[in-house]
Amino acid sequence: MSLKLLTISQSSKMIGVSIQTLRRWDNSGKLSSVRKKVAGHRYYKKDDIENYIKNNLKDQFKLAKNWVFNNIGLEPHSDFYCQDSSVFRARLIKLENELSKSKKLGETFPLISAIVGEIGNNSFDHNLGNWPDIPGIFFSYNIKKGKIILADRGQGVLTTLRKVKPELKNHQDALYTAFTEIISGRAPEYRGNGLKFVKDVVIHNKINLFFQTGNARIKIQKDDTDIKVKKTITNFRGCLTLIKF
Amino acid sequence: MIIFLKKFGTTLTGRQFGRESFAAFKPSLKKVKDNEEVVVDFEGVVTFTPSWGDEFLSSLLDKFGKHLILKNTSNLSVQATLKLLENIHKINFKVEES
Repeated sequence: MSLKLLTISQSSKMIGVSIQTLRRWDNSGKLSSVRKKVAGHRYYKKDDIENYIKNNLKDQFKLAKNWVFNNIGLEPHSDFYCQDSSVFRARLIKLENELSKSKKLGETFPLISAIVGEIGNNSFDHNLGNWPDIPGIFFSYNIKKGKIILADRGQGVLTTLRKVKPELKNHQDALYTAFTEIISGRAPEYRGNGLKFVKDVVIHNKINLFFQTGNARIKIQKDDTDIKVKKTITNFRGCLTLIKF
Repeated sequence: MIIFLKKFGTTLTGRQFGRESFAAFKPSLKKVKDNEEVVVDFEGVVTFTPSWGDEFLSSLLDKFGKHLILKNTSNLSVQATLKLLENIHKINFKVEES
């Protein structure tokens, strides 16, 4: 059990509600704060915030989004946190096993686990030893709803891809390259072609993909021939993925 | 020589794991004689990805070239991965009909 205290600002970013809402919830007893001295600032126990999130936030994508967009790096709830690739592999095998029972997916289920594996492992392969704050990834899924979410607070596609393609100008360029261009050069970094694989699988199957890095996002679905990268208003370091099937 | 991939696991993903798998198996490859076929059997593999495949299969291909043969490749993630690896490396894997 963690006794770590968070400020009201940190807590509001983790849950994704305003500071005023947290004050109101505190007054009504919905989510109580602790104070170091009478009439002092409100603090929240990290466990209380994590439990609130786990029990009340049904929207796991929103949770992942809050996590990557938060300027303060905090470990996600342990249910969704893969701190290293071995934890991710174990959870991926669990996902694979659950997907294999889906009648809807039939023989195509390994394609879903394969694209999840590529996206998750990309985060580890390209950030090993270079995580800016929190190492590892956010990984959650809901088979009934057909949703899988992955996120990391790593360096992002632009920074890692520039190691093999220094001429990349911005996040849009980097994202387009990552999803469309075969990169066979190995030095100075082993660079996979995992996102090309993801794209190929998505356009040939009933899968929708949302992927954002920096201020660039891509949406791909079955039969797409034109890959369009859009500039977003929001910007963050790292990657955020939503797979729907 | 036949290499049964399921002996490395049935979920084969990630460069790190691919590199570890190849490094672990490399000493066994010394037994392969000149011109001997090296068969990679995918039977039992559930999830196969380009990152693992590139570390393991591409290394075997570099070493054994035309003597490398793949078997039991019907799994859809295996097929999709082989297609991409062929495209990246401009090669065609020899696949044995099962």
